[in-house]
Amino acid sequence: MSTPYPTSPRWSDIKEGDELPPFDLVLTASVIVAGAIASRDFMPVHHDRSFANAQGAPDIFMNILTTNGYVSRFITDWAGPEAMLEKISIRLGAPACPDDTMRFTGSVIRTERRGDQGVVEVALQGVNRFGAHVTGTAVLTLPAD
Amino acid sequence: MTDEASAQLQARLEECIGQPTGKGGPSFGPDEVNLPMIRHWVDAMSDHNPVYLDDEFAATTRFGGIVAPPAMLQTWTMGRPTIQGLRERGGAPSEVGSSMLSILDEAGYKSIVATNSELEFERYLRLGDQLHATTVFESVSDEKTTGRGTGYFVTWVTTYFDADDVVVGRQRFRVFKFKPATATGQTS
Repeated sequence: MSTPYPTSPRWSDIKEGDELPPFDLVLTASVIVAGAIASRDFMPVHHDRSFANAQGAPDIFMNILTTNGYVSRFITDWAGPEAMLEKISIRLGAPACPDDTMRFTGSVIRTERRGDQGVVEVALQGVNRFGAHVTGTAVLTLPAD
Repeated sequence: MTDEASAQLQARLEECIGQPTGKGGPSFGPDEVNLPMIRHWVDAMSDHNPVYLDDEFAATTRFGGIVAPPAMLQTWTMGRPTIQGLRERGGAPSEVGSSMLSILDEAGYKSIVATNSELEFERYLRLGDQLHATTVFESVSDEKTTGRGTGYFVTWVTTYFDADDVVVGRQRFRVFKFKPATATGQTS
């Protein structure tokens, strides 16, 4: 028997100001390259350090598809398998490079019933040693109860 | 740049608004939405949401079956890369035309940094969905100076369609195309 899957919180229990469990992403070259290739982004700045150095970057850095992937994961690790993302709106700042840790934090800024759907908006950020890599909002729905 | 040259550049950039970013025509993904690519993504991100891989569990959720991770949207229409010669092409995975960015390159605004991404999902994708996408320039700013340098904010929107030409999602993408404030390396 496999481990039981996480469940989604009840929408009616989610309140403005609720904080999402923080998520510390250990950044390694493997993490950055795995994300770039799984998202089919072959730009060498995401996998080739000497190319990245020649471009003036200190190291390879995370591609935006992977950033969106981790934002999505950060949201659904909390909101569970019934969550459906409607929007991820992010501002990009500092690069995410190997040999670092990036901490994702977020909190609920809005809830609203829309028919049989419960809408939740979350403000979030991912911060590493250079500062805020990603800042933004995500909108998701859960079945309203 | 003189005021006149600056006005001419602005006019050329604004002519690109509403035009396709590439050679025109939609881009088609090489593969339909499929389990091996989802598994590759899920493993890369250590994302254990069971609706992406466990059909039996997914059938009990609102989705009624496996769905693709929503952030994979753009992944489905990424072209096949040509790895040989990647460095020689300056890192472009394939040859692409890009009118507004080429104009800015020629005008000396050679550096680029992504500043914003907005993803919207109309529905989650299912195994077998075959996507195509069209991308058009949406807007260009006036010349701006930021901490990075002087340049233009360029925004384009990619719209993703399923095989029935129904919109499944959108991505709005903004970059700053600029001359660096301090000349460093090859970016000046």
